[in-house]
Amino acid sequence: MDMLALFAPPDLINGLLLKLRLGQETINYVVWPFIQIGAVVTGVAVWAAYATYLERKISAFMQARLGPMRVGPWGLLQPIADAIKLLTKEDLKPDRADTYIFFFAPFISVVAAFVVFAVIPFAPDWGVVTDINIGLLFVLSVSSVGVLALILAGWSSNSKYALLGGLRSSAQMVSYEVAMGMALIGALMFARTLSLSGIVSAQGLDSIWYIFYQPLGFIIFLISGIAENNRAPFDLPEAESELVAGFHTEYSGMRWSLFFMAEYAAMIVVSAIATSVFLGGWYFPGVWRLGINYPHLFVALSLVVFLVKMSVLLYVYFWLRWTFPRYRYDQLMDLGWKWMLPAALLNITLTAIAIFVVQALDGWRGMDTVTSLARGVNLTATGKAIMIAFGALGVFIAAGMLSVINHGARDFNLKKQRVGIRLTNPPKGQTAVASAAAAAAAE
Amino acid sequence: MTLAGWEAVFFWVFAVAALVAALLTILARNAVHSALFLISTLVSVAALFVLLGAEFIAGVQILVYVGGVMVLFLFVIMLVNVGAEERGNEMLFNRPAQVATSAIFLVLLSLGFIYAIRQGYEGLLARDNLITQDQREESATRRRVRQQDLRPSATGTSLLSTDTQLVGASLYRFAALPFEIASVLLLVAIIGSVMLARTTKQEAATDDLETARDEGLVNRES
Repeated sequence: MDMLALFAPPDLINGLLLKLRLGQETINYVVWPFIQIGAVVTGVAVWAAYATYLERKISAFMQARLGPMRVGPWGLLQPIADAIKLLTKEDLKPDRADTYIFFFAPFISVVAAFVVFAVIPFAPDWGVVTDINIGLLFVLSVSSVGVLALILAGWSSNSKYALLGGLRSSAQMVSYEVAMGMALIGALMFARTLSLSGIVSAQGLDSIWYIFYQPLGFIIFLISGIAENNRAPFDLPEAESELVAGFHTEYSGMRWSLFFMAEYAAMIVVSAIATSVFLGGWYFPGVWRLGINYPHLFVALSLVVFLVKMSVLLYVYFWLRWTFPRYRYDQLMDLGWKWMLPAALLNITLTAIAIFVVQALDGWRGMDTVTSLARGVNLTATGKAIMIAFGALGVFIAAGMLSVINHGARDFNLKKQRVGIRLTNPPKGQTAVASAAAAAAAE
Repeated sequence: MTLAGWEAVFFWVFAVAALVAALLTILARNAVHSALFLISTLVSVAALFVLLGAEFIAGVQILVYVGGVMVLFLFVIMLVNVGAEERGNEMLFNRPAQVATSAIFLVLLSLGFIYAIRQGYEGLLARDNLITQDQREESATRRRVRQQDLRPSATGTSLLSTDTQLVGASLYRFAALPFEIASVLLLVAIIGSVMLARTTKQEAATDDLETARDEGLVNRES
């Protein structure tokens, strides 16, 4: 893919800007980045707004309803109506709330969610805002700042529901952040760089999507990502049946909608990272041929490919939300610490072993597995087949090992738990624990 | 390395921000406000790391300190009642003796700090053969050449540094043993804190019913 001339703005816009008597340096480093940032921020904000529309529509179709239909054709203008409503609503502040932090928290949330889009490679060439050496680390660290907003919002509201929601969210996000970062390391071993554009191009050079090498990593990343975004079935911080609305109970109007926008933007971020690390980013078989003669059409098409892959993952989010019941809090913590984190560690070990084996097999009895290791691991067809087999095997190994380890855990075998520990309906005059012990002794 | 142009602006903005936020950390009456100012300091220091060309350290600083440690700090502050200090309205500097002591300590600390920095800087210059002007220029040229060898980034307007690779290579090549020792230390800390936090009553109430029954804990009224 090196035949694309690497230069910031496309020629058409560059020519226009040069006519405005701007220097090439200024265009490359100031004007063009600002144009890109404006485009990305507008695009993401609009998309976040329409994600709410899509979510309502999809949930409606799942429940045999029509969803929003009144504003505009098929209710298409509903998000705009909502935005106007929220902008004109009163901005309430609870009595004895911490004024500065209460007003500041939504901004932290939105900034942490939006800054990340700077390093996401939407497309090759002019489709990237910036490409830095620590791209993936930057994404993880900035999105980990987002949790601060939730805690601060919960604390500053001076309300018990908000505080409980904030505490829950901080515990949950700190737990799942670890598994989320660890799940990506397996893919990094193949790409050999943290730059997101570099990871995408490594997949292009190897002509494979890393989901085939790393099915386990992808599953862990997706689950942890959903938990990190506080989405159902992990939406404990805003469980409406217990906590009214969690950390944003006391927010109204525009500040509330900022939280909402940040949540949807964070969902888009997780989908975008999963797309670029595991689903090959903007690569799609055959599309690159266009790049030789029509570079700009190629970039536009790559952008479409990226957005389609991302939308599929976003649909998974909606799908899960309207399919699964909410987890209990201890189940959530069990899943994070007893399943996701060990599985992520196991994935790293297995990936290291697989890479070592495939490299060792190169040249053994005339086998040819590795083409080059220059920019990411590049394997031949044989090497790919072995690696994919290792990846698929990894899922079963991890499932088996964790089942053995967690067999004694309380939530693993719910049927046994119901039979063995009768914590519900204890006989009169006995505590639940004592009656359970008596029942266990009687067996 | 002398600072010039936008680099100097960048440095001064974040250095002053770090210092002011650090001062406000100890001057704020509200513990949560203190924690927030500490976060600002940490973020500013991360920006200074970027200026030094240590992007990886900057990213890890944000990830670990802001996203992890400070979140737990806030967690603890919110759970523990610290309202009493907040409501008190004692002056911070109320007795001459206190003011005099802190002033003397401030002077001593800054003198020691300045001395240490000077010594360290000169030691580094001597180690890297950067004492004369010619040697410095030669080193700068070498650095420039090394930077031009880097791979271009996807936008084409900048070069990708190899800072992460350098950190990784030196960590696992030269410091593998200290790294392992540190991880064992952390593991011990994790297990120890779990042991301290988990009481026998909790164990009886949760999943270890069999163990608890053997020890005769569950039959007792809890």
